[in-house]
Amino acid sequence: MLKPWQTALYQALLAATTLVMLYPVLIMVLSAFKTTGEIYASPFALPAAWSLQNVATIWRETRFLTYLGNSILVTVTSIAVMLATGTLAAYALARYTFRGNEAIYLFFLSGLMVPLKLAIIPLFIELKTLDLLDNRLGLILVYAAMGLPSTVFIMTGFLKTVPAELEEAARIDGASEARILARIMLPLSRPALVIAGIHNAVPIWNDFFFPLVLIQSDHAKTLPQGLTVFMGEFSTDWGVLFAGLTLSALPLTVVYVLLSRQFIAGLTSGAVKG
Amino acid sequence: MGARSLTTMSPRLRRTLWIAALLAPAVLLLATIVVTPILSAFVYAFYKWQGLARVGFAGLENFRLILFQPPFSTWTYNAFLHNIIVFVALMVVQNGTAFFLAAALSKGLRLHRFHQVSLFLPVILSTVIIGFLWKLFLNPLFGLVNQTLIAVGLASWAQPWLGQPSTALGSLILVNAWHWVGFPTLVYLAGMQRIPREILEAAEIDGAGEWTRLRRVVWPLVAPSTTIVVILTFIGAFNWFELPYIMSGLEGSPFHTTDVLGLYFYRTAFGTVSSGLQDFGRGNALAVLIFLFILAVSAWWIRLLRRREIDL
Amino acid sequence: MKALLPRLGAAVLLAASFGHQAIAAELTFWSWRQEDRAVYQEIIADFNKLHPDVKIKFEAFEPTTYNTILSTALAGGKGPDLIQARAYGGLEAFAKPGYLLALDKTMVPELDNFSADALAAESMREDGKVYAVPFATQSMVVLYNKDTFKSHALQPPETWDDLIAAAKMFKGMGMMAFANGTATAWQNEVLMGGIAPSFYGREFNADLVAGKATFEDKRFVDALTKLTELKEYLPTGFTGVDYPTMQQLFISGRAAMIVAGSFEIANFRKQNPKLDIGVMPGPAPTKGAPRLVSLFVDGGYAINAKTPYKDDAIKFIRYTATPRFGDLFSNKLGNVSPIKGVKIEDGLLAEVAKVNASSAPYVMLVNFRYQEPTGSALIQTGVQKMMAGQATPAQVGAEVTKGIAAYYKPFQK
Repeated sequence: MLKPWQTALYQALLAATTLVMLYPVLIMVLSAFKTTGEIYASPFALPAAWSLQNVATIWRETRFLTYLGNSILVTVTSIAVMLATGTLAAYALARYTFRGNEAIYLFFLSGLMVPLKLAIIPLFIELKTLDLLDNRLGLILVYAAMGLPSTVFIMTGFLKTVPAELEEAARIDGASEARILARIMLPLSRPALVIAGIHNAVPIWNDFFFPLVLIQSDHAKTLPQGLTVFMGEFSTDWGVLFAGLTLSALPLTVVYVLLSRQFIAGLTSGAVKG
Repeated sequence: MGARSLTTMSPRLRRTLWIAALLAPAVLLLATIVVTPILSAFVYAFYKWQGLARVGFAGLENFRLILFQPPFSTWTYNAFLHNIIVFVALMVVQNGTAFFLAAALSKGLRLHRFHQVSLFLPVILSTVIIGFLWKLFLNPLFGLVNQTLIAVGLASWAQPWLGQPSTALGSLILVNAWHWVGFPTLVYLAGMQRIPREILEAAEIDGAGEWTRLRRVVWPLVAPSTTIVVILTFIGAFNWFELPYIMSGLEGSPFHTTDVLGLYFYRTAFGTVSSGLQDFGRGNALAVLIFLFILAVSAWWIRLLRRREIDL
Repeated sequence: MKALLPRLGAAVLLAASFGHQAIAAELTFWSWRQEDRAVYQEIIADFNKLHPDVKIKFEAFEPTTYNTILSTALAGGKGPDLIQARAYGGLEAFAKPGYLLALDKTMVPELDNFSADALAAESMREDGKVYAVPFATQSMVVLYNKDTFKSHALQPPETWDDLIAAAKMFKGMGMMAFANGTATAWQNEVLMGGIAPSFYGREFNADLVAGKATFEDKRFVDALTKLTELKEYLPTGFTGVDYPTMQQLFISGRAAMIVAGSFEIANFRKQNPKLDIGVMPGPAPTKGAPRLVSLFVDGGYAINAKTPYKDDAIKFIRYTATPRFGDLFSNKLGNVSPIKGVKIEDGLLAEVAKVNASSAPYVMLVNFRYQEPTGSALIQTGVQKMMAGQATPAQVGAEVTKGIAAYYKPFQK
């Protein structure tokens, strides 16, 4: 299929990219064991002492496990709500023609074009009226809503490419609309779901702006919010932050590694059926 | 005429209800949490503010200031130009690379799973940590980039990357590409994996080499992926905020040469701790203008790209 | 049933009339000083020795988001009872919408413990009322590494020529004379604030305010020119040296001096307790001429106008205006308290207080950060450009003047 020099080129490209990607990540992990001073003095050397001081500081000064639990709860639920409602809407927009289809599609897309931060004050007041302030449910709804536009966009794009014959055949067989959706469309869109999920899960997991403004009670804080405690006015404890953010990246990394298996499985099944 | 049951309802009505049921939850959620507050915020643009106190109706004054009154207008166009540069550069560097990486990954070569995971690792990391990490790498005194250049004898190339107008924005763009290239790679990979093997094999039998296959077969067939990547990159480029904030600061140092609309909007609407004051009316007006621009261009892009998908 | 309601109503009214404030729960106290959390607990404990029944909960937030968090909460009616606020324009942004309680001498007699300037920093210009009790004054100075100077038998320089000579010597030995870099925008204003006043003189500020001079005045342009003469003694590639790098260069002892704010002292000491820090004002143009630092009030403590616990809040605010609090504040937090009669125990901090006696107002913050484009934003960009060689001092002066003249009447000819 491929000439040997072409294979070599591709492999070189991949290897170079992997090196460039992983080396900084390695530095990040090493820095988690250094103090701020050491990070500046010898940023690329191995830590002088593999001290767990930074981790100890995080443990002592933040409720790390609580915050981690909240981050997991908020992220997972937001993504679930977002994917569920977004996919249903995308399915309607992608597979059915009706008046107002384009308008509603643009309606969803317009949500992508403006940072919700702008509306933080009216949003705050609205959540207060709905009694959703200082409440993880409020945060979940905010993130789910923020993720809808890109989800609808991605899912519509993918759902449109499913051949009509599959649908027609199922209809002739007497399948209901709901069954078509559940048995045919959803399984085929697994890769798109992963993409939409990841595209939103990462910013939601790492966000600290909305939790800072909307959540006050310590028991409801998320992990990035909890870590802002180390960002001072004139000094930031970078060693501790590195440790915290490295730990924070672990759950997502694990999820991604597991999902990437799914991703490939989902992809090949799609190609074969098509 | 009694109440109709679901089964005796006209198919037309049933279809409408079904579509409405599919759309309702998402529309409701978006309308409540996003659209309503944003519309309120847009209304604020028509008022004068001092801090967070509304002090009078301003009509179109805030818009006039942003578009026509120096120094505000100078900042606006300066930032806008940078956003365009960022978009074009990212399309070429980030997404171009992503296409080739996806092609490489789609071959299923040895270690491809490992490469796929490591490629995507930076995407998962927080922008805060990435911004700081790369600031360290680009530090003129002890950053890895300069140290490496000196070590290989290219000391004259060692420079303050983030301190010079000629290299600052470019550095930020490259860091952004490093951070996010995994995502469009994945989107392209998904698109490529849906190409039926028969088509590629037929092209090979017809005598097409790898490069020709990529250009003539793969690229057109991943049009849906391209649509997604182009639109998301466009919107991302114009909303770009976190990375420049961490690496250049709210003012787009050095002297506004890395200023982008996202930064300009944030420091106008919320003020900075150490220099500017908040002007909430002007900030909201800027957001309205950014929104209208992105909306218009995106709508046009999407129409264009959709047509291309169908044609191909 | 019909008779019960009015009776209940009367009972409630009766109960309510017994206190003119809600039953004291916990007062919330918001701040951006994450570094000071532990000390504020001590302060509250000390306050409770005098008022054991008033409970206060201190909460600190990430500093760059603090303003947004605070304004959103206040706009939504969920603000804290006690607020740590900024000064000058930053204070007016919260006082103008009516979020803060106006303080006067009958409410807080301890306001007498402050100078007029300090109180002016925490007042709204249009009604002249005081809205917060100032907590610290800061100044832009030159900090130097005492050990480095001692080991080279150098005296801390007094005049500009002395400074350049010392810097030349350090540079010749392969050491960094100054840690300063211009990558971070606001540090350019600090650089100006530490060096320029000695060159433009004490009267310049008054002339600016009166409209007798603008930033195109020779005094100011000459002062900026002096800054450019420092370029060769800044680190290589200083345009790319940002704020944390600058700090680390001085803390690690790699740089002999740094033009910085007095607020860095507490932070530097925490990161390197062995560092022997010296403080001096920027150098004088000639021997015997006055050496001026830029002085400003850092912020104050304010009361939420809508707090249900007004009396308790006032008790705390009054406490923060007493020398007892000032002593604790200065000695534990390493900042100069503006309260008259405070005894500073720390030698270095006492030096700072002494140096502050010869000062000029930190010109942009004090006068020109009330409206956009602020003098601060303009000078930061201007000095950054100038130090990068992309603008002359005269051009910077002109640009700053033009920007401010758009709204500042004394500059409008």
